[in-house]
Amino acid sequence: MTADVTALAARLDEAARTATAIPQLSDEQPLTLDEAYEVQHTGIALRAGRGDTVVGVKLGFTSKAKAAQMGVSDVIVGQLTASMRAEDGGTVDVGTMVHPRIEPEVAFRLGADIDPQDPVVDPLAAVTDVAPALEIIDSRYRDFRFSLHDVVADDTSAAGFVIGPWRRLGDVRSEIDLANAAVVLEVDGEVAGTGSTAAILGDPLRAIEAVARMARQHSLGVPAGSIILAGAATAAVPLTAGSVVEASVAGLGRVVVTAGKAGHDG
Amino acid sequence: MSDLHTAAKRLIEAETTRTSCAPVRDLIGDTDQDLAYQVQTLVTSARVENGARVVGRKIGLTSRAVQTQLGVPSPDFGTLFDDMAYTDREPIPLGRFLQPRVEAEVAVVLDRDLDSETANVADVVRATDFVLPAIEVVDSRIAGWDIRITDTIADNASSGAFVLGTNPKRLTDVDLPATGMAMEARGAVVSTGAGVACLGSPVAAVAWLARVSARQGTSLRAGDVILSGALGPVAPVTSAGSFRARLSGLGEVTAIFTEGEPA
Repeated sequence: MTADVTALAARLDEAARTATAIPQLSDEQPLTLDEAYEVQHTGIALRAGRGDTVVGVKLGFTSKAKAAQMGVSDVIVGQLTASMRAEDGGTVDVGTMVHPRIEPEVAFRLGADIDPQDPVVDPLAAVTDVAPALEIIDSRYRDFRFSLHDVVADDTSAAGFVIGPWRRLGDVRSEIDLANAAVVLEVDGEVAGTGSTAAILGDPLRAIEAVARMARQHSLGVPAGSIILAGAATAAVPLTAGSVVEASVAGLGRVVVTAGKAGHDG
Repeated sequence: MSDLHTAAKRLIEAETTRTSCAPVRDLIGDTDQDLAYQVQTLVTSARVENGARVVGRKIGLTSRAVQTQLGVPSPDFGTLFDDMAYTDREPIPLGRFLQPRVEAEVAVVLDRDLDSETANVADVVRATDFVLPAIEVVDSRIAGWDIRITDTIADNASSGAFVLGTNPKRLTDVDLPATGMAMEARGAVVSTGAGVACLGSPVAAVAWLARVSARQGTSLRAGDVILSGALGPVAPVTSAGSFRARLSGLGEVTAIFTEGEPA
């Protein structure tokens, strides 16, 4: 039986807009991986219909531990939209989320298109900038539990992101080992997680090749200017209203956001 | 024989016969750390009587996660002996361990005594000769690592062996809290972490050890090698092969495990 992609995307979209958790899609009916990506793309189209725009992509399951936990051997890709972005030093509204979590990441920015149809071009050459980042993930599924295909359909739990100061990738790589920079996640001034950028695929720059591959497999455009969230450097921690969260990547910089609770509009 | 001696005997026998034993908390309880350190002293004294030489200390339970797991608010420590020391890439026979695990650390080597009961970070900085990247091999004489705080303290803080990198760095040339750690085995990352995970900084962990040791009358000495505590999660050693730890700013160190018995 073929999944009703439109209906499933609408269900997830409704869950996200009303901050109401829903049962996993796969509880009802199994989805193939391709169908799951179709649901994701349809959901993004619904957002676009409301005036939102895609500004980049994110990878999931980039840590060995998380991949093993999910029983998967490859990364997954989701899409980031303009409305998910909060400013560095700004506020993210957790009132519009189900059960948000936050994690420290490394972000890249493209100066040129990654063209999935052109296998000759080195995708790494398209990257111009790098920054510390925070990602807010929020599964639309009950209890943050899902199968691989469920989470792909749910835009890999993408909900928010904050980008710290951009720096030229070449400058950073001449100063530090980006493949092994210490990462600290602080919540209200307390250390909530520590790790290394090595937790991201062994080297966060490997995310670029992975994005190029995913773009090829799942028909994603990754044009110049796109932001790439490479993956988490520590486990995610719950994000509650009122808390101030800061991520620092040694030698790269820091990024901070406050969790606010404006609640739903209308 | 007192319960303390019975506990020590159990652990010493496990070590010498290479057969893991039951926990010792049936003898010394699971909360009294002083009793557990008395057992540790019996165990380490027996090693000294057999000719082993003390070369330093190890600090354990320096991460909040591990402290929470064992229900304690502070680290613990054990004694390092000369026969536990390996050099970068020197083969380590697996036969000397029961159930080894590895963790990447910063080794702090002292060039003066630290005998103040109120030693602070400044005292440690002043007393530090150099630091080295290190891999600690932890091991438990207690079957299945079924340990509570008193079991691991009595068992010399679950110490096994250690591997030191060979390229020393001065404290002024490194930023220990901002040191990233990545440990790989067979090309895959098995543990990642940061210096800040070790009580905020490995130097802070050594200051803690200096104070506690001075109070117990076993002050840290010039020349001591201090394994200051894990920077990331521990990884099991299940077969022969190598683990390579990279510590940003400090360099790298590789532990190579081989089948077979120690010479």
